[in-house]
Amino acid sequence: MKRPIPLTLTICLLILIVSLLVAETLTVKVQSTSLRNSPKFYAPAVQALSAGEKLEKISDQSGWIQVKTAGGVVGWVHSSAVQVPKFDLMATNKGLKTQASADEVALAGKGFNKQVEESYKAKHKDVSFVWVDKMLQIKIAAARVEEFLKKGKLGEFGGGQ
Amino acid sequence: MSKHQRMAIIPAGLMAVLLLASCAAVQSGTDVLAGTGQISESDRQAILKTSEAVSATFSQITEEQEYYIGRSVAALILAQYPAYDNAALNDYINTMGQAIVYSSDRPEIYAGYHFLVLDTEEVNALSAPGGFIFISKGLIRRCKNEEMLASILAHEVGHVCSKHGLQAIKKSRLVDAFRVIGTEAARRYGSEELAQLTTAFEGALGDVFETLVVRGYDRKYEYEADELAVKFDTAVGYSPQGLTDFLQTMIGDSTTASGKGWFKTHPSAEQRMEKAKSRIAALSSVPAEASVRTKRFEQSIAKLD
Repeated sequence: MKRPIPLTLTICLLILIVSLLVAETLTVKVQSTSLRNSPKFYAPAVQALSAGEKLEKISDQSGWIQVKTAGGVVGWVHSSAVQVPKFDLMATNKGLKTQASADEVALAGKGFNKQVEESYKAKHKDVSFVWVDKMLQIKIAAARVEEFLKKGKLGEFGGGQ
Repeated sequence: MSKHQRMAIIPAGLMAVLLLASCAAVQSGTDVLAGTGQISESDRQAILKTSEAVSATFSQITEEQEYYIGRSVAALILAQYPAYDNAALNDYINTMGQAIVYSSDRPEIYAGYHFLVLDTEEVNALSAPGGFIFISKGLIRRCKNEEMLASILAHEVGHVCSKHGLQAIKKSRLVDAFRVIGTEAARRYGSEELAQLTTAFEGALGDVFETLVVRGYDRKYEYEADELAVKFDTAVGYSPQGLTDFLQTMIGDSTTASGKGWFKTHPSAEQRMEKAKSRIAALSSVPAEASVRTKRFEQSIAKLD
């Protein structure tokens, strides 16, 4: 007589299959970053990436992930720039739901967003954002950081690890 | 459906309604009790913690929300201390800051890290969530070389990496915010939801600002940031002794007695130095100071007025 597969085992297997499939897709969680041709910040950029973009993981190496874009371009992103879906097999149903809703919030730009800031500004006209915006405009290109490291005998050009 | 079955549905339905309403009731009930002084804020937090089915923690704050919290906290800091409008010095601080960021635990954040010098002689360094990092002229003046300055920036980057600022936000603000987020499907909110979110936002900013500027972080976070400063400094190639050298200059500093800024919000320099020294001693090898860096540091701060 054929014995039925226990329900819990079936669920566990399903979760495992789903997690293996999903784990390979990463989402860009920072406003913008670059896809680089080697795993370091001042490596030449291959393509610009923006929040919400999906990437397919190929491999990883000390904090960096080699990925492929939807357009088929291959390069490296730092792991802190992407959301890695976490599906913990030991997690309860509630845990899985929390993860899904956090991703959903991130994608939808919900919560404390530009609209809330505008509402806050309208209530607090004395709080100036002029210098906050000026601060955001100070952008140091990766090539300049490389130059700074080189001249200061830092990083790979000196005693850095 | 039999009469018997119908009879059973009524209490079940009532129970469901009660369950749904209970979280909101506990929330508003604790607000009332806290308002009348019948329970303390910590009691209120504890009650909310156990009553909420949804877990609300700082780790659920998305990168974008952290950025928006940080922008407003930065604006509040800049209302307290004016910015030092010196493009060359700010450029130097930002370049050094990025070099440290690249070797940190969390190099990429929503809108990147940005550094700004504050036009005050008070010795202080502050970091708002979302990577808005401030360092006072008074503190820069007390640095003798690039290693010392790097250790201060690395300490602040450490606070951002570990989201210490976000951890200052009271759970009740997150519970309030997440409730609105959970019920609204749209990115743009209606006036009622927006008012609720703005109130939670104001509360969150107040929590972070008070911790950064008035009360100071929990000591364990300061020691953790020092630990990260040693780690990031070493990873970039700076001598981590920049941190202990800086702390040494702070011991016996006459402004310590003023109890302002850094001195009010940080554990004593002696205590921090002891811990930092033992951490450095545990490293197998540390990079040495380089005169080329001290030279460019001296040139960069020469025009400090």
